[in-house]
Amino acid sequence: MTKEAFNCVFRTITLRPCDTDLEQRIKAELVSAVMPWSITLAKILNKNFAVFSWLFVILTLASLGYMLYGAYNFYYYGNCDGPTATGACILNDLTGDYGRFSSPTELIPPTEFNGITVGPEDAEITIVEFGCFTCPYTKQAESIVDSLLKQYNGSMRYVFKPFPLPNHNNSYQTALSVLCADKQGKHWELRKLVFQEQTLCSVEGSTAIEKLAVEAGLDMDKFNSCLNNQNTKNELDLYIQQGKDSHIYATPTFFIEGEPLVGPEPISDFKKIIDKKLSD
Amino acid sequence: MIKLDANKIKEDFPFFQKNQNWVYLDSACTSLKPKQVITAELDYYENVSACASRSSHSLGRKATEAQDSARARVASFINSNQKEVIFTRNTTEGLNLAINSLDFSRLGKKKIVTTVLEHHSVLLPLFNLRNKNLIDLKVLECDSEGLISLDQWNDAINSNTALIVTNSSNNTLGTSQPTGEIAKIAHDSGAFICIDGAQGVAHQKTDFKKDDYDFLCFSGHKMLGPTGIGCLVAKSDLQKSMKPLVFGGGTVKTVSLEKAEFLENYEKFEAGIQNYAGAIGFGVACDYLKKIGMENINGHEKKLAAVAIRALEEAGALIYGSKEQKQSALISFNLKNAKPHDVALMLDKFNIAVRSGFFCAQPAMEAIGAKEGAVRLSAYLYNTEEDLTKFKEILLKVNELYS
Ligand SMILES: Cc1ncc(COP(=O)(O)O)c(C=O)c1O
Repeated sequence: MTKEAFNCVFRTITLRPCDTDLEQRIKAELVSAVMPWSITLAKILNKNFAVFSWLFVILTLASLGYMLYGAYNFYYYGNCDGPTATGACILNDLTGDYGRFSSPTELIPPTEFNGITVGPEDAEITIVEFGCFTCPYTKQAESIVDSLLKQYNGSMRYVFKPFPLPNHNNSYQTALSVLCADKQGKHWELRKLVFQEQTLCSVEGSTAIEKLAVEAGLDMDKFNSCLNNQNTKNELDLYIQQGKDSHIYATPTFFIEGEPLVGPEPISDFKKIIDKKLSD
Repeated sequence: MIKLDANKIKEDFPFFQKNQNWVYLDSACTSLKPKQVITAELDYYENVSACASRSSHSLGRKATEAQDSARARVASFINSNQKEVIFTRNTTEGLNLAINSLDFSRLGKKKIVTTVLEHHSVLLPLFNLRNKNLIDLKVLECDSEGLISLDQWNDAINSNTALIVTNSSNNTLGTSQPTGEIAKIAHDSGAFICIDGAQGVAHQKTDFKKDDYDFLCFSGHKMLGPTGIGCLVAKSDLQKSMKPLVFGGGTVKTVSLEKAEFLENYEKFEAGIQNYAGAIGFGVACDYLKKIGMENINGHEKKLAAVAIRALEEAGALIYGSKEQKQSALISFNLKNAKPHDVALMLDKFNIAVRSGFFCAQPAMEAIGAKEGAVRLSAYLYNTEEDLTKFKEILLKVNELYS
C-alpha cells in the first residue's frame, strides 16, 4: 500500500490521476481498524473521512514546516528549538571551526582558573563557566549565576571564561569588550547591558557595544585602546584554547569543582552538586 | 430432502485449510477448487505432460485418453454427446465462437434476439456484428423485478429470427429463465438458440438434449474446475456448417498449398496445443458436482439465499430483483447511503469476499436500477450457514457506519 501511495503521489505531481481505488482502500483500512474499539468513532471517521484526511495533510505539512524551522534554528542558533528553548548553543560543523565533541562524558575540567573571577580565591567551591555573550542560553543562565553568587556568597569562587562561538555574529568582539570592562573593574556593568541588548550586539557589533560601554560608565579612551591591544586578544584566544582543550561543544558549560553541567539546567541541579561538594 | 453437508464438503477444499478465517462469497465470479481437481491437474503435469491427438508414443496416447475422458465427463454432466463438446478457454470464447460461426447471409435472415440481462460476453460480440451491419439486434427489456416474460419472447421471435442468445441464469440477480420453452419458441420459428450457461450450468441441472439447445457455453472455473478451460457444446449437424474462430494445427485432415480439408466436429475448432490439464480438471469437477447432485446443491443454495436475504433485510439493504424467483444463492444489494465499493472493501477487512460494481453487465445493472453498481454475494456448495452468520454480523456493523 505504501508503494501504491508513493506511486499515487508521483502521479498527482505529474498531473495524472491515480489509477487505483487507493483512497477508498485507505479509508476502509482506517475505519475497520477503529471499529473494534468504538463503532461510534468509526462512524464519525467514516462519515467525515474527507475532513480527517485533510486534517492529516495539514498536520503533515505543519510537522514538515516545523522540521524546516528546526533546521533553520540549528543553522542559525546551533539548536533546533531556536533562541528561547532550554538547551545550549551547540557548536556545529556547519558554521563552527572549533572542532566537535558531543557528549558531557568527553568534557575535561579546566585546570587553570584565570578569566573574569568573582569571590575569594580560597573558597571551598570553584565554579567555572565557559559562556558566549551572544548565546541566548548563556543569557538564560545569568539568573542562575546571580542566585548562586548570592546564596553561596563567601564560600564560592566564580570564574567566567569567555568562549565566543564562531556561529554567532560579533561574538568575538563582544567578548573582547567585556574583558576590557573587567580591566576597569566594571565587568558586571557592561555584562548586564550586553545580555540585555544581546540581539543588538549580534546585529550591529561595535556600534552597539560602544553605546553600551558609555552607558556602563567606562573610560572610553582606555576602553578603546584595550580593544585594540594585541594582549587582550591574546588573552581571549587563550580562553578559547582552554575551552577547546576542555572539549567544550556548547555554551554555557559549567564545571562545579570539575563536575560538568551543560546548558541552563534547573538551579536545583546546580545546588545538588554544590551541596554535595560542600558536604564532602 | 437435501443431502449435502457443507462442513464436510469444506474439507475437500485446500483453500479453507490455508485460509481458515475467510468467508468466500464470490463464487459467481469464480469458484474455489477441490483437491480432487487440483490433484488431477497436477497428475497430468507430473505423469503425462504430453500432446494429445498427435504423438503416437504411449505418453501421447495417455494424454489423448485423458482428454477424451474429460470430454466424456463434461458431455455426460450436461447430457450431450461427447463429439458435441468443443473445449474453449471460457464462456466468453465459447460465445464468441458460436455467435461468429454462423453465416447469416447464407441463412437468409439476420435478426438476433437477446436481453438486457446479459453479460458483456454476450452483448459485445453481438454489438460487434451489429456495427458491421451483419445482424439486426433486438434486445428484450426486463420488468422492475428483473424478469422477462415468455410473451416477450413470443412477440420478438418470428420467421426472420436467425438466433437467440440468452442466459439460463444471470449473474446479476440469480434468477433463471425457462430456456427449454424459449428454445421451443425459437425452433418453431426456425431460429437457433445459444445459451450462456456460465451461471446456469454451475448452479442448476442442465440438460442439453432435453431442453434442445443448439449451443451451450460455460466455464470450468465457475463450477469447481480450473481457470482457462470452458466449452461450447454445439449440435453435431450444426458443427458441419460452423466457421472456426481460430485456425491452426490439429484441425485438418489434409493441407496442400491450395486448400485445407478440415476435420469434423470439435477437432475443427480446437486449433493448436490445448489446455489438457485444464480439461482433465474440468472433467473431474463435473464428476464431483454430479456425485453430490445438482438438486442437492440447488436446494442448499436456496436455503442459503433465504438466510442471506433475511440478514440483508435486517440491515435495511436494498435487494435487487425478484426474491421469489431466485434460483441460486446470488444476491445483489446496496446499503443505504453507502457506495458498493466501500461496503465490499469494509467486508474485505473482516475477511469476507464479495464483489462490487457492475459485474460485467452494466446495461443489466442499470435496467434493474443499480445505476452506481451494487454489492454481490454469491454462495456455493461449500458455504455454510455459519458463513452467513459472520457475514450478517459484519454487515450490520458496516451498516451502522452509514446509518
Ligand atoms: C452470465 C455470465 N456469462 C458469461 C460470463 C463470462 O465467463 P468467463 O469470464 O468465464 O468467460 C460470466 C462470468 O462472469 C457470467 O456470469
